[in-house]
Amino acid sequence: MIMQIRNAYSVYLPFALVCIFFTIIAVSPSFAGSKSQSVPDSFLILSPDKQFDYAQELFSTQDYLTAISEYKQFIHFFPEDERIELAMFQIGMAYYLGKHFTEAISAFKRLTEKYDETEYSIKSYFKISEAYTNLNAFDLAIINLNNLVTVTHDEDIRDEAFYRMGWIYIETASWEKARRSFSNISLQNKHKYKLEKLAAELDKEALIPRKNPNLAGFLSILPGAGYLYCERYQDALIAFLLNGGLIYAAYESFDEEHYALGGVITFVGFGFYAGNIYGAVSSAHKFNRKKTGQFIHKLKNNTQINLSADLEKKGICLSFRFAF
Amino acid sequence: MKKTSGLIIFFIILGLIWKNSFAGQEMKVDEYPKVSNRAEEKHTDPLLYPIKFYRDFISSADGNRCPMHPTCSQYCNEAFAKHGYIMGWIMCSDRLLRCGRDETKLSDPVWIDNVKHSYDPVSNNDFWRQ
Repeated sequence: MIMQIRNAYSVYLPFALVCIFFTIIAVSPSFAGSKSQSVPDSFLILSPDKQFDYAQELFSTQDYLTAISEYKQFIHFFPEDERIELAMFQIGMAYYLGKHFTEAISAFKRLTEKYDETEYSIKSYFKISEAYTNLNAFDLAIINLNNLVTVTHDEDIRDEAFYRMGWIYIETASWEKARRSFSNISLQNKHKYKLEKLAAELDKEALIPRKNPNLAGFLSILPGAGYLYCERYQDALIAFLLNGGLIYAAYESFDEEHYALGGVITFVGFGFYAGNIYGAVSSAHKFNRKKTGQFIHKLKNNTQINLSADLEKKGICLSFRFAF
Repeated sequence: MKKTSGLIIFFIILGLIWKNSFAGQEMKVDEYPKVSNRAEEKHTDPLLYPIKFYRDFISSADGNRCPMHPTCSQYCNEAFAKHGYIMGWIMCSDRLLRCGRDETKLSDPVWIDNVKHSYDPVSNNDFWRQ
């Protein structure tokens, strides 16, 4: 009896163990996803729409640096999305609006290198030129617009590039170059850009009051006369009195054989006399800069057309101002 | 007698210039701007010691009353550093001549600690570099 039990045990035991093993294997996956494991309560499914909308929201709330990082994430995770180009443009815009002009230029250039003559690549060209202008790199702004003129086959875009070039030349007071740029605009768009009025206003640059720096320097041989020429009356009086006093003191010192004192006064006097000449020349330049700046400001207010990039529609939004 | 009267006239004029240059603006005692970055400034050039002396001992006691920005002493430091001794000296003299008069009406205003100053940096005056 005992032997029978032992035989049956030795036969069924392996079978039972195999059954238990497979049962455990079969049951274990059903528990794998249960809450007893360390699995988060909720999942975040990253969709292109959610990611892009979040970046746009950050952009609209002017949190530009965070927006840039979200746009970059969008580009990384959804490289096939049709909004990639817009995301690249928005990265450039975020840098631009955040006044990181150098980074903005790099971002816009990446876009123009990847896409040829699309809506955003054209806008990027214009933004690159604006960013260069903000950095006072006017030559580079002009070169960039010349590149666009070469690349594009669209007459309207070419005309806008010429118009922008003209205004950059005006900023640098290069009146003739500005006129030449405006004259390159096609006949069909001359009216749109109000070129007749602009040309008439531009011709008034000849009437900008100017002071001749050389003449100011020459007149300063008589201390204060240069300042007087530059309409700095108080400076003129002080320059005259101070230099006159120093020259007289130096003369008296040498005349009385106080050579050391005379030397010191001459040294100080030299600085103020040269400073009086230098200051007169500098004042003439400042006068010219100020008057030219005022003319350009008035010209902008009266004739410049705003070329605002429209993100939704193709084309240019025009506005016209006139200061009375 | 002649010599003495000449020197007296000279020093009176110099005093008037000095007063106008460095005291173009009335300020209350509690409005004196804090001395900033003085400790960080390095005056390694012995020829600039007079400016350092003025800034450390005279201006700090008398108060920063220069109506220009940068102040005349700072301007002189920058002019010497940027253009060397001769042009620095000439530019420094020119600035002292102009300080506190017509320049305050012609230059762009800049507000520092709620006090209006006239913005006249070295770069506005080195016309031959522009």
